[in-house]
Amino acid sequence: MIAPKPTTKEPALDTLVKVDNLVKHFPVHGGLLNRVIAKVHAVNGVTFSIKRGEIVGVVGESGCGKSTLGKTLIRLFEPTAGKIIYDGREITHLAHGYMMPFRKHIQMVFQDPNSSLNPRYSAGAMLREVVRFHQIVPHHETRDYIRELVAKVGLHDDAIEKYPHEFSGGQRQRLSIARALAVRPDFVVADEPVSSLDVSIQAQILNLMLDLKEDFDFTMLFISHDLKVVNYFCDRMLVMYLGYVVEELPCGEIEHIARHPYTQALLGANPASDPTQRHELTVLEGEVPSPYNPPRGCPFVTRCPLVEPRCSQEMPPLLENAPGQRVACWAVNPQRTAAAE
Amino acid sequence: MSQPSAETNSKNTVAAGFWSEAWKRFRRRKLAMAALIYVAALSCVALFAPAIAGTKPIICKYKGSIYFPALGYLRRQWENPIFLEIRKEYSTRMKEEDPDSWAVWPLVYQDPYRRVKEGEWPGQPGNPSGIMGAPSRHNLFGTDQQGYDVFAQMVHGTKTAMLVGFVSMGIASVLGISIGALAGYFGGVIDIVLSRLIELVMCIPTLVLILSVLAVVEEPNIWHMMVVIGITGWTGLARLTRGEFMKLKELEYVTAARALGLSGTRIMFRHILRNALAPVLVPIAFGIAGAILIESGLSFLGVGGEAPNPSWGSLLSAARNTLEETWWLVVFPGTAIFLTVLAYNLIGEGLQEATDPRLTQSGH
Repeated sequence: MIAPKPTTKEPALDTLVKVDNLVKHFPVHGGLLNRVIAKVHAVNGVTFSIKRGEIVGVVGESGCGKSTLGKTLIRLFEPTAGKIIYDGREITHLAHGYMMPFRKHIQMVFQDPNSSLNPRYSAGAMLREVVRFHQIVPHHETRDYIRELVAKVGLHDDAIEKYPHEFSGGQRQRLSIARALAVRPDFVVADEPVSSLDVSIQAQILNLMLDLKEDFDFTMLFISHDLKVVNYFCDRMLVMYLGYVVEELPCGEIEHIARHPYTQALLGANPASDPTQRHELTVLEGEVPSPYNPPRGCPFVTRCPLVEPRCSQEMPPLLENAPGQRVACWAVNPQRTAAAE
Repeated sequence: MSQPSAETNSKNTVAAGFWSEAWKRFRRRKLAMAALIYVAALSCVALFAPAIAGTKPIICKYKGSIYFPALGYLRRQWENPIFLEIRKEYSTRMKEEDPDSWAVWPLVYQDPYRRVKEGEWPGQPGNPSGIMGAPSRHNLFGTDQQGYDVFAQMVHGTKTAMLVGFVSMGIASVLGISIGALAGYFGGVIDIVLSRLIELVMCIPTLVLILSVLAVVEEPNIWHMMVVIGITGWTGLARLTRGEFMKLKELEYVTAARALGLSGTRIMFRHILRNALAPVLVPIAFGIAGAILIESGLSFLGVGGEAPNPSWGSLLSAARNTLEETWWLVVFPGTAIFLTVLAYNLIGEGLQEATDPRLTQSGH
């Protein structure tokens, strides 16, 4: 039933998702008249693009805006500024009705399967609702389609009748993936899909997602705080800090090519797989600045070991440093400016 | 590849929804269960009142045709013309005209709307105790000042008590849940406006409004009262629903539903309401008890709608003048009101414990 997707889009655009200077600020209400008294700068002008079939990772510590980026990207939040272009069409401010056809193509797997599955819906009911709502298959085929889907994510047939609380964490995440894939999406945003799971199950779910990617042929934005997981899983990664992308680099040999001091600090925080191989630890001092009131210039200025006077004056532009690698740091790109590019 | 067996659930529970779990817990509470059975029994009494006490046969055969005269208690037109004809003379004509005729009579041959005279129908008793008769074999709960049978009045009054509870709380639930859901789901200006509306309605004293409505309406009846109780009694439910919606709409499964493109109404009523319903059920049960009390109170004051319709409250009211002689006019309807209100409160309490999310999480 889950046949390979018909290739209806004739000239498949190479770039599936393009994000241009995306900004998301959350107003903070307070005071007597409930006025806006502050803004949380969650995403501050992020620019990147995702090619069809690619897995792009987003890494960063808690509160760096990576989840907000993912949710804004699929229009769960209204973008404050910037552009989101999906498959050549701008979807930045599409109204609910116009967004509908895209909902079928863009899906999300959430972090915590305990809260992202409605406790009053059985697995089958949950999938049935989605499949029928978007009319994925003819009505009479729904049953077989769901059975097949459930099997594809590695759940038993009898799971269809079960409710979320009767599953284990890993099974719940499988169900959550099944729900996202039920509409046969082209683009999946996975928001920390394995962070709430045991390490042993993390690997299972990641492998499952890789298998399913082959099967369903989708493009993915993979959000995680775990540099190692992203490095293993993705083709390319974006390192985020306080709402900015500070470095973009290809995955694989990141320990050798990472240039931004923050990326290097993240690498240092990861325990090495070989304990005899000691590497220099860059321990970050201080706290992440408050997103209510981010520092002027580079967001990393308060903790950066390579800080220069220029850093607190001007935000360094994200400049290409090597093929496929872009870094936003004055220390790495001393002479270059955005204008010179 | 995926190994589903590696992470199967430790306990192999049978697939069970939230409500079946709640029902299991509810069933363990003996008092709540007894109350539920009592209410179910009362509903049966209300439904089959003409078959329990009445002077019209439930079913009779006359000249080859089957008739259901007892339906006449529910609606005058449903009483078959043939039986009305015969009854005019209160004679034994039926047997004389058609020796093969037969009739199945209600359990108790007594009428809530009139005094049954001796020898009205061959083989059926009258009111031997007459006016203000004490409970006896034929008048189980005695008779009132007009000689009407108290038991028959109570049986037929059950309908009023049940209806008041269900109809008024039905109106209140629909209003309260939808207004609370709208306010909680959309928030912002809608929430501000609806919350002020809730506060406004909370300020209206129900009793005074009912009294004025009954005074203004030309032919006040029990339905006016139910509507007024309903449209003033939804505020608590609305506040509760609003709170639940505000809490639940932040959960990730609602976000997931939005990501799937489901419509707002679908998310509100299919996804959020399902989870918000359990805590709302509890005050509904208490509200039914409250509505029954209001109705009894108003009937006691003598403003409970048209006179012929018997209700427990109006029986109590009738007892006022002759309190010293007629204890049965107080004790039986009073006990019925007390037990019914108590039963609804017990059901509410049982629901509260059965649907407690903490108990659900820990799996008792």
